[in-house]
Amino acid sequence: MPVSAETKYGPSVTTNTVEFPYRRSLGPVVGGFVAALARGQITGVRSTGVRGGGRVLCPPLEYDPDTGAATDGELVDVGPEGTVRSWTWVAAPDARHPLDRPFAFALIQLDGADTAMVHAVDAGGEDALRAGLRVTARFRAQPKGRTDDLAYFVPEGTETTDPDVVDAAAAAAGAAAAGVSTEPVQTMEFWSSLTYKEAVSPATARYARSMLAGTLLGQKCPTCAKVFVPPRDFCSIDGIRLDEGHDLALPDRGVITNFTIVTPVPYPGQKETEPFVRVSVLLDDVEALMGLQPVVDIPNEEVRVGMRVEAVWLPESERNAEEFGNRGWGSTTGAISGWRATGEPDLPVERYIDRVF
Amino acid sequence: MSGEPCAIIGVGQTHHKSKRLDVSLAGLLREAASRALTDAGLDWPDIDAVVLGTAPDAFEGVMMPELYLADALGAAGKPIMRVHTAGSVGGSTGIVAAHLIHARRHRRVLAVAFEKQSEGNAQWGLAGGKSGGMGAGGIFAPWIRSYIRRSGAPEHIGWQVAVKDRLNALKNPYAHLKIADISVEKVRESFMLWDPLHFLESCPSSDGACAVVLTDEAGGRDAAARGNPPAWVAATAMRSEPTSFPGRDPVRPQAGVDCAHDLYRAAGITNPLAEIDVAELYVPFSWYEPMWLEGHDITGPGDGWKLVESGETEIGGSFPVNPSGGVLSSNPIGASGMLRFAEAALQVRGRAGEHQVDGARTALGHAYGGGAQYFAMWIVRSTLG
Ligand SMILES: [Zn+2]
Repeated sequence: MPVSAETKYGPSVTTNTVEFPYRRSLGPVVGGFVAALARGQITGVRSTGVRGGGRVLCPPLEYDPDTGAATDGELVDVGPEGTVRSWTWVAAPDARHPLDRPFAFALIQLDGADTAMVHAVDAGGEDALRAGLRVTARFRAQPKGRTDDLAYFVPEGTETTDPDVVDAAAAAAGAAAAGVSTEPVQTMEFWSSLTYKEAVSPATARYARSMLAGTLLGQKCPTCAKVFVPPRDFCSIDGIRLDEGHDLALPDRGVITNFTIVTPVPYPGQKETEPFVRVSVLLDDVEALMGLQPVVDIPNEEVRVGMRVEAVWLPESERNAEEFGNRGWGSTTGAISGWRATGEPDLPVERYIDRVF
Repeated sequence: MSGEPCAIIGVGQTHHKSKRLDVSLAGLLREAASRALTDAGLDWPDIDAVVLGTAPDAFEGVMMPELYLADALGAAGKPIMRVHTAGSVGGSTGIVAAHLIHARRHRRVLAVAFEKQSEGNAQWGLAGGKSGGMGAGGIFAPWIRSYIRRSGAPEHIGWQVAVKDRLNALKNPYAHLKIADISVEKVRESFMLWDPLHFLESCPSSDGACAVVLTDEAGGRDAAARGNPPAWVAATAMRSEPTSFPGRDPVRPQAGVDCAHDLYRAAGITNPLAEIDVAELYVPFSWYEPMWLEGHDITGPGDGWKLVESGETEIGGSFPVNPSGGVLSSNPIGASGMLRFAEAALQVRGRAGEHQVDGARTALGHAYGGGAQYFAMWIVRSTLG
């Protein structure tokens, strides 16, 4: 959902957040590793590779990372104790870190394994960390069949006050009592969220200001005389720079040159549920084409090439510039609700159907 | 072609399905790569460099997958690079790998391309996480309407391509869609997904990967001596253009015309319709078969759909297109282009099994992507020179 900065004088920076619940297929090896975590058991796998032959990899992989050769796929128990080989201190954790208090990310070589894995160590303070520190695993008291059922590590002998975690023995007892499945975990949901800020280009800012004021804005190249909507501050045909002096106020009437009716597919964030129309509109007087425009008060089955249309502007108080990003070529969302039929006679199909966006 | 000759001596692909929940992302790629290595008679240590291709990272939510996948592809201590040209990426990946051989930079290169669509949602990814995504078909549908109008093609052409490719898929053990009772009626009566495209005129969403092993002239001759016939890369070409600009013709993009002519010139082909024995064209929506036949000047304007209508693009016709079943039958997006390139290689090696075109000696592999703005093509032959 984009949230814009100023809208009164045009946006300067837009903030976008995109989020998705990805579903990871874990495969037989990592799937078995995750299943065992619910029982308080950490596992590795034996490499069969030429160079790394016989060594135990933890976390387990389907392949030897040095050679690419397949591992034997048989999980072997390691840990839950291990040794810190190296670490870095996280003094100010944020919401995405595994712990809400200062902690270490460490390379931990579990007893019985020949490789180290990265995990969190809840050590109280940085002074407690050193290469060679002996640590032991803490597991989620309520396992979910996820990699983070292995919660974090603590220095050996540490009393744990966190009520959400248990040691390996308690996790095993809890899993046995609850009858936790031993089958490999097949998939794991991974919630991904990305927020990014983007400085709005001068061309986009001028377009947004003009749209908020109720005028479509384009830009005409002095060399090829083509009109771009919205302004880009460059001509992609001639490869030359354009500027505000080439901006051109455009008419808000035109003709539908082509269209599609989209049957919406459900996905996270999708609000469309019924088939919807998107049209290309060639504006009157200027050779300017706007793509992917919605229509207003035209039933899907009546949309056709050659139909005369005009823009339906939102009341000025309801207009916003949230959708005017640098890459939205020709978005009118927030200023124009769509295009409606003028009722004038259609124009000839063959003159317009090739004018597609 | 200049530089070192390039031979394809190994081809591998996964079984493509809507959800390959049985394998990890790494496992999916390794399934294809292991088959390619076995086909080539090589093992992981024999490979000098790896080239990886996939579509936008948002599709799986793995940023820079080439980092995570490097050791899964045996690339520790070796060069690995990632290619990205939207839907054409599988083709571009094969071309980049071929160039590493042509340039004598490496002797044996593994090229791998993949998509695991079930991990995410491509429509969400293409919409940038916003509501109201058009989907690729929503972008292409108006251009298809324009093609139909300008070519005068009857509407059954699209249905006919949809049927032909699904029938071909029944002969391909790796294909995703297996619709044994496919028919023109069934396609016509499937719901309108993106007017004028019906559901069955559109590609599926697939999990899958494809890999090829490329080597130099000595490697190709050595493979041949071991009874493994190579496919020789006769020519490669890539072109691109902006998604939209005033005056653009998206039905017959100039980049596609230029790419094809560059390819034919490099391969010494003056009459592609007569000199190419079989083509694997990137056809995610049925109408793109005649659109690319015309858009790449394989036929004259308005003649592509006539070639389709006459049945000449079927296996056994004069110009078979997509004997594998094509993108219409399997669409692991990032891998779809490489599948076209790899299937072309299988044809000239005589290794296409039930969907083999008899006597195929010259084959075209083709991919396009983005808003029909990226093109990648290669010509492979059963003989060198
Ligand atoms: Zn210009």
